[in-house]
Amino acid sequence: MRASDLDDWTTGTALDLVGSSVDRVDAVDKVTGRARYTADVQLPGQLTGVIVRSPIPHGRVVSIDTASALGVEGVVDVLTADDIDEISWYEDDAPLLPGIVRYVGDEVALVVAETRSDAERGVGALSVEYEPMEFLTHPDDVERPGAPELLGNESADEVEEDGRGDVDEAFDDAHIVVEGTFRTPVAIHNSLEPHGAVADWVGDSITLYTSTQGVNDVREQMGERLGLNHNQVRVVSEFVGGGFGAKQVAWKPTMLAALASKRTGRPVWVMNDRSGENVAAGKRNGTEHTVRIAADPDGRLLAIDADVRADRGAYAVKGEASAVSGPYLHLYQCARVRTRVRRVRTNTGPAVAFRAPGYVESTFVLESLMDELAGELDIDPIELRRRNHSSRNQQEDLEWSQPEGLLRSYERVAEVARWDETDDRDETDGEDEHDGLLHGRGFAAHDWLAASAMPPGHAGVEFNFDGSVHVSTSAQDIGTGTRTVLAQVVADELGVDISSVRLSLGDTSTGPPAPTSAGSTTVPTMAPAVRAAAAAAVDDLLDAAAEHHGVERSSLSFDGTHVKSSAAAFEDQPLGDLLSDLSPRVVHGWGGRETIAEDVSPRAQGSAVAEVSVDPLTGEVRVTSITVAPDCGRILNRRLADSQVIGGVTQGIGFALTEEQVVDHRLGVVVNPDLNEYLLPTVSDTCTIRHAALDIPDLRANPLGTKGIGELPLIAVPAAIANAVRDATGIRLHELPITRRRLLEAIASSEALDHESGDHR
Amino acid sequence: MTLSPVTSGYTRWDQSDRRLVSSDETEWFAGGTDLIPLARSGVLDLDSVVDIKSSHLERTVQRIDDRWRIGALATLSDLAEHEELTATVPAIAQAVSQSATLQIRHRATVAGNLLQRPRCSYFRDPSISCWMKGGSDCPARDGRNEHHALIDEPCVATQPSDLASVLVALDADVNIDGHDGSERTVPVAELLQRPVADRRSLHTLESGDVITSLEFTDPGTSRSTYLKAMNRAVWQFALVGVAAIVDIDDRHTVVSASLVASGVDSVPRRLTTSSETLTGRELTASSIASAADAAADGLTELSENGYKTALLRGLVQRSLEPMRGG
Repeated sequence: MRASDLDDWTTGTALDLVGSSVDRVDAVDKVTGRARYTADVQLPGQLTGVIVRSPIPHGRVVSIDTASALGVEGVVDVLTADDIDEISWYEDDAPLLPGIVRYVGDEVALVVAETRSDAERGVGALSVEYEPMEFLTHPDDVERPGAPELLGNESADEVEEDGRGDVDEAFDDAHIVVEGTFRTPVAIHNSLEPHGAVADWVGDSITLYTSTQGVNDVREQMGERLGLNHNQVRVVSEFVGGGFGAKQVAWKPTMLAALASKRTGRPVWVMNDRSGENVAAGKRNGTEHTVRIAADPDGRLLAIDADVRADRGAYAVKGEASAVSGPYLHLYQCARVRTRVRRVRTNTGPAVAFRAPGYVESTFVLESLMDELAGELDIDPIELRRRNHSSRNQQEDLEWSQPEGLLRSYERVAEVARWDETDDRDETDGEDEHDGLLHGRGFAAHDWLAASAMPPGHAGVEFNFDGSVHVSTSAQDIGTGTRTVLAQVVADELGVDISSVRLSLGDTSTGPPAPTSAGSTTVPTMAPAVRAAAAAAVDDLLDAAAEHHGVERSSLSFDGTHVKSSAAAFEDQPLGDLLSDLSPRVVHGWGGRETIAEDVSPRAQGSAVAEVSVDPLTGEVRVTSITVAPDCGRILNRRLADSQVIGGVTQGIGFALTEEQVVDHRLGVVVNPDLNEYLLPTVSDTCTIRHAALDIPDLRANPLGTKGIGELPLIAVPAAIANAVRDATGIRLHELPITRRRLLEAIASSEALDHESGDHR
Repeated sequence: MTLSPVTSGYTRWDQSDRRLVSSDETEWFAGGTDLIPLARSGVLDLDSVVDIKSSHLERTVQRIDDRWRIGALATLSDLAEHEELTATVPAIAQAVSQSATLQIRHRATVAGNLLQRPRCSYFRDPSISCWMKGGSDCPARDGRNEHHALIDEPCVATQPSDLASVLVALDADVNIDGHDGSERTVPVAELLQRPVADRRSLHTLESGDVITSLEFTDPGTSRSTYLKAMNRAVWQFALVGVAAIVDIDDRHTVVSASLVASGVDSVPRRLTTSSETLTGRELTASSIASAADAAADGLTELSENGYKTALLRGLVQRSLEPMRGG
């Protein structure tokens, strides 16, 4: 059954579990350690592989002396480029183990041993001779006139242009122009669970246990490179400790494990360590934006002109900063927009999609400028956004699936954050006489492009003979709670208790095709699919019951426990009894979501308010509260939605205040490749987090009205924090994160300016 | 990288056998919170480790008359949780409870805390040569030195211990059981010295010497505080920290002041001018401003750490303000 064959879940549809805060169905397994993640997999005879990484940022691998490593007790095999035939990697078709390394951390070899300690001793014994080559790790250096072409940079000739209208003309006679150059940092996903795999090659087939956001994509990517049919590759990812976009493709550890398993004839375990995870498993692109916006005296935008440079690292990976022009093109009503994006290669680790790739970065920039505009024109920041509201996709000339969603978000976030009650700038902002701290608040809006589905998404629902229900799909739960939400949907559609529903997820051998978990599309794709499968299973049940009892099919119904009939002679039959009677006939259904909304532009937008206190003497920024109002459509599980909000806001605090990969550009080395020095926000860095829930079913985007929430609560948070810092201090930070150094330096230069101009405020 | 840093050469300390620890290749092991990461990352080759965790060394924290004595094996958590010590010298609890994480504080000992290797990222990267590791140059001097010391020296790593600044402010001593069998007492300020060419270390302890305890005189009615600036709320070595021990009499006059800064030098840096500026004066906005202004005297800004002078001044001001009045 197709999801589109069923009636929509409107606001009037009676739903029991959907919308409530059902506990995670795997909560106990997770907190007791029973849930088996990739690193936990232990197969008989399993070996451990440890990756040898390049210590230089660019150079030729002259030779690898494997003998010394093979002489270490316990070492079974050493895999180098010489052992691999024509397996290429990344979008560049670069060799899996390159003869010319491109960044510190690039994979050079794999040492396979009986234990991890043995393998690490083998790595220590292995000697690799390199011939260093010139390198450039800073995009400024790459773009400097006369810089050598080291990595095939396309920046000069392949600028991606998009937009509408004549932009330059609009700036010529605009009432006001606000502009600036802004930079965002390289941020690292740092999922709790690193990338890795256990490969078990048996006969002509391989099983890959791997931590991934897309078992089907990994199956296809691995099968293609190994010359195997899809049905010779089984990919299992039952539990995943987060991905945030960095696990949406197959990575080298998976392929290295597969090759080593084939060579040794034994299962091989390869997981990145934390340093590998920090240098070689993807990152959010560092970006630089030079942007100007023009407006009329009422603050209505006349033009947006954005030049963006994204540092993609040494290799191209799918999804990195893919949508960096999106906020400029879509967030506001504006007849003239131009975006120009150039992607620069540097001798640093490859960038990959990271939770709202490109959007977090551009939203920080655009919303900083909108905040400046509001200040210049003395218009309330939310009122300024209302005046510029867009109800349609101006690039495709389609209405948003929820044209008023963003306006509802503004109302709700203002209400929950008490925006209007604290509007008196004199009272809430500026210096507190008692402690010398400065207080401020900031607002930011955001767009997000995914909201409908990423088909195909298929699922099967089967009644076991005892009446319990088995749901199978290959969709994976990357930690967000997909397993729980899908169980809720199936239980509600069938009318059964959720405890009788079990799901098999994240295994290509047991579930039908499902999308990669990316772009907040898992739930919008899979919830309608499992619902259709459940409906199909009920159809099958009633067909079988009609045949078995010789009654009219149309007289039968199922209420979750009994099959009933409007026919007088029919006695309600418990489900289990009926299924026993029907045996060996199996009752099941198949459902799929195969389409996306096409007559509208599906959209999930939202907004955020941040409150901060700042110590101007020490540069300390404390976020005291964040309120977000993401329009994620129908909320299927409030507690899980809140969890996404807490996680997204926390990552937003990190992006705004603490997280930044730091590179020494003379040495080409990341100086903070670990969790001591790469500063993830801790619990103490968080604050009061409020989810100003909207819960508006968007039936034009999705038959169940749900749009997914993963990306949304992050996108506007860094901008809102930066705007709050501006509100508190009067200083506009053009670069994230706002560290003590950046803020104190900005305060010092603003004082110097004041001094020069004789303005002693 | 080696997951099991020591495969042989692990010994529990037997006080009677000195030879075990009189070699440069031998490392003391107590909490291991610094040693294990250094070995795992490949910066240190651990050929021989002597474990003193379960030795006769003391873990007690006690006051004997007006002297506090802290056993070398007391953990940072032991100090943070000691009610009488915390009430008497709040700065100690403030310093240790802002150090690292709870898990590390439960393991890390006070003696080990004073003997940490530099937390400089160049020092900790085994593939990078640096002066402290025996090389000729310091890559941090012209590199990413946002976290480094404000000094013009061959090594610009900071002394990473927060506690050390408070101990120096208290004029604390360490008791050392020497490798030659002698016992001696040395001020913390002498134990922690800037590295020099023939002693590339942040401390002066010789091979085989072991710290047995710390001691300091109870500061009586003096007020104390330790303020620390980090780029996140917890779990970072001090960008800058300020320890202040200030004795104020009934007429609000500063009898004595001892201000020491972390994060700006390769030793706990006494802010001598600031301390002298306050002595004999009432604690007012004006005297505090004078002390803050003088705090960065003699410091040298590197390419990325100039903000630390403003930060140091700001922390000095913030540390003294609450001591006014009341």
